[in-house]
Amino acid sequence: MRDNAKGGALTEVTFTILLALYTPRHGYAVMQFIEELTGGRLALGAGTLYGALNTLQEKGWIEPLGGGARKKEFVITALGREAAERELARLRALAAAAAEIMGGALWEKSDIATSPA
Amino acid sequence: MGEKRYRYFAGLTGAQARWLDKMADQGLRLVRTEKLLYEFEPCGPGQYRYCVEFVGHKSRQDAEEYARFLEECGYRVFFKNINLNWNVGKTVARPWADPGGRIASNATTFNRELLIVEKENDGTPFQLHTTREDQADYYRTLRRPALYLFAVMTPMAVLLRSWAAGVFALAALAMLAWYQVALARLKKQGGLEE
Repeated sequence: MRDNAKGGALTEVTFTILLALYTPRHGYAVMQFIEELTGGRLALGAGTLYGALNTLQEKGWIEPLGGGARKKEFVITALGREAAERELARLRALAAAAAEIMGGALWEKSDIATSPA
Repeated sequence: MGEKRYRYFAGLTGAQARWLDKMADQGLRLVRTEKLLYEFEPCGPGQYRYCVEFVGHKSRQDAEEYARFLEECGYRVFFKNINLNWNVGKTVARPWADPGGRIASNATTFNRELLIVEKENDGTPFQLHTTREDQADYYRTLRRPALYLFAVMTPMAVLLRSWAAGVFALAALAMLAWYQVALARLKKQGGLEE
């Protein structure tokens, strides 16, 4: 999983995992959360999720919760929150710029369909 | 006693998974494996789906941690051998493996190179690796042992005029080509570099 490079953007996988872990969750719950959040569009394979969780742990963005829970749970760290907040700011700025260029009010599909070419 | 079948798939993980899917379609669910043996018990037709993944590059701890994670996701996991090796007390060097997995013995991942993962069939395709980047990483992992096998077997085939080594060298070459094509296809689809 490769995030950012130059632009600083997170991959959708990274961002959604961070969002999932604002509440402590174990792996399977993260998969379910992401599938529900994206309406089934983003269905993460368990192997991909496992690799992503390890990478995010190495970055210090998430951490395993202590305690003898039967299933290993993870939660976002302060560093992870910072990264997620940066991503939200980036997406907001991008969406605002796009709305300005494309004429705003793109939320309703009918606008696009009826606008003159 | 369940149904027994004897098969050997070597490194053909996809073929192994497809065969297990087919068995499940016939109402047979995997319950136990040995070197060549697969034992099944009755299940509903098509009730389960299978993935087979190479983990021979991982250390024992990493492989078991990964298997535990998959079990926590609700899957059933079997370790399986990739080679037919009947030695006891064997130790092999794997220069291509991750740190921690480079010396494999009967106590580590030797003869436990593959994971067979079983999931209750929910109608969606069963994939463990779903992003292109992650799939590419997996192919790169598989490419390393193939490259090693090729590099060792080719001089043996030529210098010792050994046809057996030649067969292995050709098989390794075929594997290399296969993974290379798979990687190129992923690259063409884009999204490998972000």
